[in-house]
This record gives sequence, C-alpha cells and structure tokens, in this order.
Amino acid sequence: MNLRAFVIAGVMVAGALGLGAQQFGGSDAKPKGYVTFAPEPQVVKAGKASVVELRFQVRDGFHVNSHTPSSELLIPTVIKLQPADGVKAAEVVYPAGTKFSFSFEPKEKLDVYTGTFIIKLPVVASAGDHTVEGSLHYQACDTAACYPPKTLPIQVLFTAK
Amino acid sequence: MDDVKRMAFVVGLMVVGISLMLWAGWHNLRERKLAMQRAQESKVELIPQGGAAAGGPTSEGDGPKMKGKAAPAFTLTTLDGKKVSLSDYKGRPVLVNFWATWCGPCKVEMPWFEEFHKQYAAQGLEILGLADDVDAGKDAIAKVVTKTGVTYPILLTDGKVQTAYGGLEVLPMSFYVDKSGTVVVQTAGLGTKDEIETNIKKTIASGGAASLAPSVSKAVVAAGMLQTAGAR
Repeated sequence: MNLRAFVIAGVMVAGALGLGAQQFGGSDAKPKGYVTFAPEPQVVKAGKASVVELRFQVRDGFHVNSHTPSSELLIPTVIKLQPADGVKAAEVVYPAGTKFSFSFEPKEKLDVYTGTFIIKLPVVASAGDHTVEGSLHYQACDTAACYPPKTLPIQVLFTAK
Repeated sequence: MDDVKRMAFVVGLMVVGISLMLWAGWHNLRERKLAMQRAQESKVELIPQGGAAAGGPTSEGDGPKMKGKAAPAFTLTTLDGKKVSLSDYKGRPVLVNFWATWCGPCKVEMPWFEEFHKQYAAQGLEILGLADDVDAGKDAIAKVVTKTGVTYPILLTDGKVQTAYGGLEVLPMSFYVDKSGTVVVQTAGLGTKDEIETNIKKTIASGGAASLAPSVSKAVVAAGMLQTAGAR
C-alpha cells in the first residue's frame, strides 16, 4: 500500500514537473514571416521529366500577391532557385491566384495567394538524393495593413530513383 | 515508526506534487490569458462606415511605442528635390505618415488625409507623407500621389528615418506630433476616417498654443476671412 502511494506520488511529481517544463518551453515565439515552406521529401524517376511540388502556406488572415498581381505597383511572389548538381530544372510553374478585394476598396480586384499554394518545379534528375537551395520573395497584407517584402529561404529535397 | 516516517515522506511528496500541478495550472492559465490579450491586440476588425468599410489599426509587429516621446527629427527631400525638415513645422501639429506604393490600405487613407489637411489648415495642421519604398522609383511614387489626389508634401525616406521611428514593420504607420514636438498618437494599419479625425483633433489640442509660421498665419487669416465672408 505504502509502495503504491509512493509510486503515485512520484508520478504526480514527475507529471507536474513535466507540465511545468512544457509551460516554460512553450512556444511564445512570434512567427517572423507570413509564409512558411513545407519541405516534403519527394521521389521522382531518375533521368525522366518529373515535377517536384513546392508547398507553401500563408498564415491565416493574411494574403500575398500572386506571381501576376493585378497592378504593376504590387510586388509579385517570385521564387529563385540555385543550380544543383545532377538536376536540370526548367522554369517553375506558378499557380493562378484568387481574386481578392479589401472591404474598404471592393472595386479593386487583387490577385493573391491565401492558405496553401503550390509552385511546380519541372526537373530531370540523375539517380540519388538532391537538394535545391532557393528563396521565395513575397509581400503580405492582412485586411487593414501591409508588411514589407520578405525573402524566405527554402531547401527543396527530393530523391531520384 | 519507520512506517510513520515513510507515510510522512509520501504525504510530503504528494503535497509537493499537487503544489507543482497547481502552479503549472496557474502558470498555464496566465500564459493563455496573455496570449489571448496579444491576439486581441493583433486582431483586425472591419468596421463598416458610410458604405465603405475600414479596418481597425493593427498592432502586428508595430515596433517600439513612440507615444509620449519626442518625434525624431529628419530632413528629407520631396519628389522635386526640395529639402524638408520636421523642424520646419515647429510649433505646429504634424501628421507623419509612412506609406508605400505597394500598400493598398495606405492608398485608402491618403485622400482622407488630403481632406483633413485642407479642413484643419486653419489650425496649422501639416501632413507629411513619407514614401517607404524609394526603390520603387519616383515615377511610381508620383503615380500614386496623382491617383490619390494628395497635395501635402511627399518625402523620400532615407533608410534612417524608418529606424528612428521604430523600424516600421507595418504600413501604413502614422505618428501624430503635437505643437511641442511630442508624439501624441501612434497608429499602425488602416483606421477608420473618424478615428483619424479624432487623432488629428487630439493632436491639434495638445502641446499648448500654436505658434504659426508667418506664411501659415496669413493662410489662417485668409481662411478665417473666407469663412466669415461665407457666414455673411
């Protein structure tokens, strides 16, 4: 009986300590950007024309201009990729944006990305693991404010078999 | 006796454990409340106003608070190369508005500023529009100025003034500077037209009596005469 009580007490102490530690280590960090990159390892056929998908996520409540914004004054979303050994990459294919208007300016239609958007990278790669370094340049707004342009470094990982 | 000691030890451990759990719970609740508070501060609500709607100012990344501090001095050039300093408007209420060509909400409030600039000219109000994206080029900036119908001075930023005003992580960003040179109100994001006018009135009323420059005094007198004539 005493042993059981001892074990229960030990578990409670450990649990409390763990919970406390979790609270201290809780992520209070404010996201630095408005777009995140989800690097999903992908597999393509070696030596064959294939497509690698680059999946990005725009923070809820925000939007970024598409690659083809509705005005020349707006900053388009642009991806830049570095050459990588064993990878022959063609021009990336941007998704079409969706029409968006600020509530205070309903007549002006913007062309934006919200939520998840996927940029396609056509490649022909030799057999093996590949890493393509690059960056995404974008400019985000929410419903009442805009934020200076940002550059998000990315690392595209895929395997050709 | 050993059993009593062991029991006391177990009870002690349990008390410590429960205390830690209570503390963790309290800490968790406090963190959640703070997070909710932060989220509330960052929340942008759309408030319909006269058919058009505007968002409330946002605090997302709005940097250091300048309210109550002396407005940092600057000397910048206009689109046509004229030097303009904040100190040129000493003794007058000044609205320092940072904007950019790529900022939609900025372009919504600029015509409102123009309207208020005329409306409160008699009180000595000056508005300075500081273009935050000089790299867009003078043509692009001039295009927006024309489109929004702005006639108040548009200044080209130099990179230093943004830092002096807290880094500007959000646009539009406005600083309402009273006659004594103190920032009375700081706003980030698009507010409603009514909020902007309230801030202007507050700025005009703050900082003691206005000491208008001779040219402005003449304009004020002329405006007063016109108003009087209109009343007759």
